[in-house]
Amino acid sequence: MSLRSKSKSKANQDIQKVQFTWKEVKRQKVLLIWSFFIFIYGVIFCYLPLAGWLMAFQNYTPKKGIFGSPFCGLDKFKYLFDDPTFVRTIRNTLAMGVINLVATFITAIVFAILLNEVKAKKSKKVIQTISYLPHFLSWIIVTNIIHQALSHTGIVNELLVNFGILDAPIDFFAHPKYFWPIVAFANVWKETGWNAIIYLAAITSIDPNLYEAAAIDGAGRWAKIKNVTLPGIRPTIIILLLVNVGNVLNAGFEIQYLLGNGQILKVSQTIDIWVLKWGIGQGDYALGTAAGMFRSLVSIVLVVIANEFAKRNGEERLF
Amino acid sequence: MKKKQLFSVALAATMVVSSFAACGKKGTEETNSDPATEAPTKEADNGSGTTATQAPTDNGSKEIKEFTAFFAIVPTTEVNDDNEVKNMIAEKIGAKCQETWLVGQEAKEAVGTFIAGGDYPDFMEGAAGQSQLYNAGAFIPLDDLIEKYPNVKNLLSTADWNALRQDDGHIYWIPQFSAMKGEEKLTVHNYEAFWIQQRVLKWANWPKLETLDEYFDLIEKYLAEGEKINGIDNIGFTMLCTENTDFALENPPMFLAGYPNDGCCIVNTDTLKVEDYNKSDIAQQYFKKMNEEFKKNVIAPESFTQTVDEYRSRLCSGAVLGIVDQWWNFAYSVNDSLKSQGLDEQGCMYVPTAITLNKGDKEQWHTSGVDLNVSSGIGITVSCKDPDGAMKFINDLLDQEIHTLRFWGVENVDYQKDDQGYFYRTPEQRLEAAETVYKTTHLCPYSYFPQYSGTCDDGINATKPENQGSELYDNLPDSMKECFDAYNAKTYCDFFKANPKPGPWYPMWTFSNNFDTTTPGGTAWQRMKEVRLEWLPKVIMSDDFDKTWNDYMAAFDDTNPNAYLEELQTELDKRIATYNELNK
Repeated sequence: MSLRSKSKSKANQDIQKVQFTWKEVKRQKVLLIWSFFIFIYGVIFCYLPLAGWLMAFQNYTPKKGIFGSPFCGLDKFKYLFDDPTFVRTIRNTLAMGVINLVATFITAIVFAILLNEVKAKKSKKVIQTISYLPHFLSWIIVTNIIHQALSHTGIVNELLVNFGILDAPIDFFAHPKYFWPIVAFANVWKETGWNAIIYLAAITSIDPNLYEAAAIDGAGRWAKIKNVTLPGIRPTIIILLLVNVGNVLNAGFEIQYLLGNGQILKVSQTIDIWVLKWGIGQGDYALGTAAGMFRSLVSIVLVVIANEFAKRNGEERLF
Repeated sequence: MKKKQLFSVALAATMVVSSFAACGKKGTEETNSDPATEAPTKEADNGSGTTATQAPTDNGSKEIKEFTAFFAIVPTTEVNDDNEVKNMIAEKIGAKCQETWLVGQEAKEAVGTFIAGGDYPDFMEGAAGQSQLYNAGAFIPLDDLIEKYPNVKNLLSTADWNALRQDDGHIYWIPQFSAMKGEEKLTVHNYEAFWIQQRVLKWANWPKLETLDEYFDLIEKYLAEGEKINGIDNIGFTMLCTENTDFALENPPMFLAGYPNDGCCIVNTDTLKVEDYNKSDIAQQYFKKMNEEFKKNVIAPESFTQTVDEYRSRLCSGAVLGIVDQWWNFAYSVNDSLKSQGLDEQGCMYVPTAITLNKGDKEQWHTSGVDLNVSSGIGITVSCKDPDGAMKFINDLLDQEIHTLRFWGVENVDYQKDDQGYFYRTPEQRLEAAETVYKTTHLCPYSYFPQYSGTCDDGINATKPENQGSELYDNLPDSMKECFDAYNAKTYCDFFKANPKPGPWYPMWTFSNNFDTTTPGGTAWQRMKEVRLEWLPKVIMSDDFDKTWNDYMAAFDDTNPNAYLEELQTELDKRIATYNELNK
């Protein structure tokens, strides 16, 4: 969506010179027809469902439906923010979102640059393929592997104890302090290779002449990375960062849901899980909608702030 | 070029039109289901009204109706589509049902998702989410259909049917496990208990365990022997602490104090008042004991983070000496697995113990008779196009011939009949019936459709093989026979005193199971569950028991437990009043 709107705004600047005449409309009729369908699609699938937000202001019951349920003003929002568990889920979601974003972002860029420096074509290909395979595993498999590996009798504890680092195995899932790092690690393990693909593509599009020129100026590998590669992929990095900032509140659902347990609920519960449990699980759909709405609004605000920031610094931006 | 453009536009147009069509359809469905909930009888009439169109399907016996069902329950075994007995039943009654189950979710969440989607399978049981389904208008009233089909009608007594009526006077679901016919035949203790492996008892020369202290003493002593099973070190004791199975974590104090399985509270039989066991001295005493055992490394530290699957596979390894659990939650999968590995003969099967906290307390682990579960059962949904056929399906499944086929299997294949008509299985047949592959490809019990316990119409045989006295005892490995003989028991129930039900309100869990956050008590209940799941493991693992216990009590009081107890008291009073009304 966002990428499209960017290209649209660029296109707009070119079109401004074109006069809006019947002839022009006729000339562009195919384009217009196409965009009409996209427009309809957007209305039906992106905007009409927003009418469901009405639920957040009602005492909604499925029996009475949106049109029959009585309105209750902002009661549901009041309930949300009076509930300490919900406030805690906001903290968890933000914290895990930011940690994940930073961790996956940095590892992907570093990995792409390192991979780019590998000169042997064949091993480069092999490494790349292997690195993005975990992306295709479903979370249920990944979480099971992690749960087993980190369990009391799992391989991690066994190694730590045998190497004398620990006296006795620790139960990683019984202590809240380990949970966020575990989630970040799982995300990094699963997504690094996949995220690196886009940076690798950006790196290949850098003009080889620049590297040659740098070499003539006496730049070594390190200087080339610093002065050619990184500036070359800078627009890509910034656009992806902007897109991902909006996703910070989508810190995840499956991984926390599958790895969480009663003892670490205070740090593991994200907004999504809370919505499932108290909204859908308890049949209070209005409450779930209110929480979802809150999340969307925060996401929009985050994206706008990040975009404004990029604009001020004269960087690439979304809109 | 022009042609190409035209083509692409046409293609796009069809795509858009078809997506519109899909939307339109969904829209009408939604609007359909809304009034349907307000006038559900109309929907039911529609069902029978279409009998004209169904007639050919009934006549042409080749045509087999296919129903779908969802049960918000973690299955013990799932049945394949081409299951042999399923197809035999389908040929006989002209209908079959594809069952789907809960996978990796909590019942309430799965049900909530169905409601949000608005499209249901033909049959549904919501378990903990049953009241949500009812409130969403997912079920059709069954009164007329029940009257129409005698097998269903006779399933329960009129009083029981009346107890199932909701506020509007209609019946919306049928409890599957609350029916008994003939003489009660019960061989397993299908409830909670502290279980201990046979080899431990044998090693100690069959002691009679009476208290929790004796139980853990014995496990400690056996652990100290340092024996291994299949090369794995023994694990002293474990239990489940997941959200769906938190009973093993939190409600043993209720039993140990000598109360029956009300599940969510204690009912004082003298004052008829509801009491909270969570805050009782007994609970403190129990968790203190657990804390001590944890410090002695008897309770496995991984108990508190394991998933149900990990727990079961740990039991299947044969290494866990003691557990607290409900029979239905472990026995069906674990016993069969132990058997197929030959671990049963090495003494890894579990024997129940009738222990209390203090010597001489009354024990009420086992209550006889079936409990009428008013909180949940199988219902027919508004999405079912043929409610009449669906009820006929339930009716036909209760037919004695089909019932036998469901639970016993095929004569001469799965079981034999002797001259007196007594059913038995050969050792090979027993072994086969325990195999997972055989269970999925051959046997089809329709395990969450209504069924009978007790005795078959022939007056000789139990309705299910596991309740056939000789079948249980003969089926036991020699190690367990030795154990049963040592304790002079023929069935698992003989390990307990036979207790009658304490009163007409029993069991209260059929009420608390349907709590949701629409009431303050329901909200408190949900919070209590969360607090217990968070704090009880901490309490058990604590270095400073008293301090952690006090912190836990403080967190527990924050959940507003009084609102919860008040609602239970109201229900208790209501149940007693209803009972007195009916038995004037």
